[in-house]
Amino acid sequence: MVVLVTSDNEQFTADKEVVERSVLIKNMLEDVGESDQPIPLPNVSSSVLKKVLEYCEHHRGEPLPAPDADSSQDDTRKRTTDISEWDQKFITVDQEMLFEIILAANYLDIKSLLDVGCKTVANMIKGKTPEEIRKLFNIVNDFTPEEEAQIKKENEWAEDR
Amino acid sequence: MSISNDSSMPPATADLATTWAFLEEGVDHIMTKLQTGVSYSKYMSLYTVAYNYCTSSKINTNNEMGMANRTGANLMGSDLYNNLIRYFVVHLRSLREQTDGSQDEALLRYYATEWDRYTTGANYINRLFTYLNRHWVKRERDEGRKNVYPVYTLSLVQWKNNLFVPIQHKQSKLAGAILRLIEHQRNGETIDQGLVKKVVDSFVSLGLDEADPNKACLDVYKEHFETPFIEATDKYYKKESEAFLNEFTVSEYLKKAEERLREEEDRVDRYLNQQTRKTLISKCEHVLIREHAELMWDSFQNLLDFDKDEDLQRMYALLSRIPEGLEPLRKRFEEHVKKSGMAAVAKLVGEGGTTATESVDPKAYVDALLEVHQKNSETVVRSFRGEAGFVASLDKACRDFVNRNAATGTSNAKSPELLAKHADLLLRKNNKMSEDSDLESALNRVMTLFKYLEDKDVFQSFYSTRLSKRLIHGVSASDESESSMISKLKEACGFEYTTKLQRMFTDMSLSKDLTEAFKERHPDQDISFTIMVLGTNFWPITSAGHDFTIPSEIMPTYNRFVAYYGVKHSGRKLTWLWNYSKNELRTNYLNQKYILMTSSYQMAVLIQYNKHDTLSLQELMTVTSIPQQLLTQVLELLVKAKILINEETEQYDLNPNFKSKKIRVNLNQPIKAEVKTETSEVLKNVDEDRKYAIQATIVRIMKARKTMKNQQLIQEVIAQISHRFTPKITDIKKAIETLLEKEYIERVDGERDTFAYVA
Repeated sequence: MVVLVTSDNEQFTADKEVVERSVLIKNMLEDVGESDQPIPLPNVSSSVLKKVLEYCEHHRGEPLPAPDADSSQDDTRKRTTDISEWDQKFITVDQEMLFEIILAANYLDIKSLLDVGCKTVANMIKGKTPEEIRKLFNIVNDFTPEEEAQIKKENEWAEDR
Repeated sequence: MSISNDSSMPPATADLATTWAFLEEGVDHIMTKLQTGVSYSKYMSLYTVAYNYCTSSKINTNNEMGMANRTGANLMGSDLYNNLIRYFVVHLRSLREQTDGSQDEALLRYYATEWDRYTTGANYINRLFTYLNRHWVKRERDEGRKNVYPVYTLSLVQWKNNLFVPIQHKQSKLAGAILRLIEHQRNGETIDQGLVKKVVDSFVSLGLDEADPNKACLDVYKEHFETPFIEATDKYYKKESEAFLNEFTVSEYLKKAEERLREEEDRVDRYLNQQTRKTLISKCEHVLIREHAELMWDSFQNLLDFDKDEDLQRMYALLSRIPEGLEPLRKRFEEHVKKSGMAAVAKLVGEGGTTATESVDPKAYVDALLEVHQKNSETVVRSFRGEAGFVASLDKACRDFVNRNAATGTSNAKSPELLAKHADLLLRKNNKMSEDSDLESALNRVMTLFKYLEDKDVFQSFYSTRLSKRLIHGVSASDESESSMISKLKEACGFEYTTKLQRMFTDMSLSKDLTEAFKERHPDQDISFTIMVLGTNFWPITSAGHDFTIPSEIMPTYNRFVAYYGVKHSGRKLTWLWNYSKNELRTNYLNQKYILMTSSYQMAVLIQYNKHDTLSLQELMTVTSIPQQLLTQVLELLVKAKILINEETEQYDLNPNFKSKKIRVNLNQPIKAEVKTETSEVLKNVDEDRKYAIQATIVRIMKARKTMKNQQLIQEVIAQISHRFTPKITDIKKAIETLLEKEYIERVDGERDTFAYVA
């Protein structure tokens, strides 16, 4: 069992197999060796870690991507926006939590979780106009009209028609 | 402890100086004091600080190269990366300074220890800076920037530039030290192979494929180690092999070279890169074998002469490793086998000259040839691993001495004759073979030599003549062995070769049935009668061709059979071969009853003494119609056997006091003339057959090709026919003449030496 300590000083205990879905923790256990020391996670809060551990628990035992996954495999992973049913349900959270999960996955180096998060964001963007997207994510438009016209022209090929 | 470390961790918003100060302290700890351990919290805080810096979105004030041109998000990292470089450079400089005084093994030890420490540490650092690798480094490389590598690769590049190359620059201190250690080992000393392996492996690790840092690249290993290593190897073995050969024999050298090659293979397995194997071994093969090949070739004969099997094996194994190494051995071996064969036959024939060749004993001759073949074929298997080239040399040599040697003179027919006679002796009832398997293996040995015969048709002729006699006289050892031999011949020469032989067996079994059937038809005969009906075209026998009066005693049987056969097979012509027939007569004029086994001629003579006690030559000639010359010989045998008494000239009396130890008296001895004619008769037949064989072959070829040049035609005939015999060119020319006369072919107008097929 491994003890994790969150930024807000809460302790979580989980199976080694579960926490090792985080490549960061897996590498560290490999490098430093196992001990009873708690592992501090200064960038993750308890509410987010709870979610992350739920994800890791569900996906325990699945193969991890190779450290230097070959690019073709990478491509197929990126190209699809499909998300499995469980993951879909899992990721149905408020926007703030979604971004927190993405940040944690990036920090802990959990590729599959990062993918689920990013795909979810991608699906949110899909089919929306720039204006709708700005509204969705609370973004202030800081382009001049000229700049905007220029960008629109450059990205004409990507338009849905 | 972990809490105090945590407290010193700079906040996510810390500037570069604060961030790096914290990181550098951790990096240095890992690179220099890893053995004191790292806590989870230390590890996590180092990772987190590096992560936070890379993910921070502060606008960098330091000059970020090429930033202005980029599109997309700005990635933080170049500052960390450059600081890492600075750290490595300083760290490595201090490591290097400590190598200044040391050399050889001490230097290698220091180098290996530091290499281990450095690479272990660098692996940690690489993982702590995973985020830097995954984003900033990847981005830089994706955009084609040279000289940016993942942190671990970066550490190796720095090791190479700041430690490895400077040390190597001083008279290749590292490689030189390794080479000296290897030389010590070649001299028989014990060295620390693990040390050598570690240093050599570091050379391999230092190779860098710019396009893909994860791919192995041997350029550093090859340049700094392999090339000088191969040169040193060349020098070492050149010197050693020359010195060794000055002092020891070639046999000793073969052992030495074999050992050295094994050692070098071993060396590759123990501590070199596998890629070096090919270069190293081929260099050793060149210096140790190729450079001394002439000497080995010249020593080969001596090894053969003294049956030095092990040395031969070694020489073979060594020379087979270099191109063209074996060819001279094969040639010499062929010559050796040929000479041995010639010598064996010469010894058998002795100094007797031509008369001796007549009296060569077939068994002794065959045994002598086989012994040479056997011995050398064992050598091929044992010492030359049955290699095809040596098998071919053996075959070629055997073909030479089997067909032409002291016993054959210039005649190609002698060997086939002797071999066929030997086969005949084996297949006869009294062959003294105790086991069937012995006979079988003796026949297999006959086939071994048969394979080498050039004139297989001569063998065929002699063989069928001998077979016909075995069958007619019923002296064959066993039907099984006979048919086994025939199937061996069939296997070697094809169906056609044995057709006649097979037919002879068919005739024999048909005759048996015929005799039975005839007996059933005429159960009440006074004479026990057995008939063999032999097809004219299949049996190499001819009727005597002279008159013979069939004795009245057997006339009824004769007539009954002729009538019986005439009904059964109308249209067939029966020719009676009295010269091959035999009879059994019972005596009743003596106290002891004897059974006389006779030829038909003897029977015809003796039967006359049922009515007379004395007869003159003239009277006997008149009643039997046997020509005088033959009759005299027949009578001579009877007189010699003391059945008849010849006291007065041309007067033959029945001997009333005939005595014999045996009840069955065999009078049917061959007549001298018959023995002598066999060889010349057979050869005459062979010549005749060949004439037709050549003609038939020419017609077959011409029919297929329509027109052909003279020279081409002759070549083709030789090619097609040489599996049966070696045709003489003059015979082929004669055959062409004959076919021109018979108008099977014609000359083509206006073209010299060209023939056309006449349809």
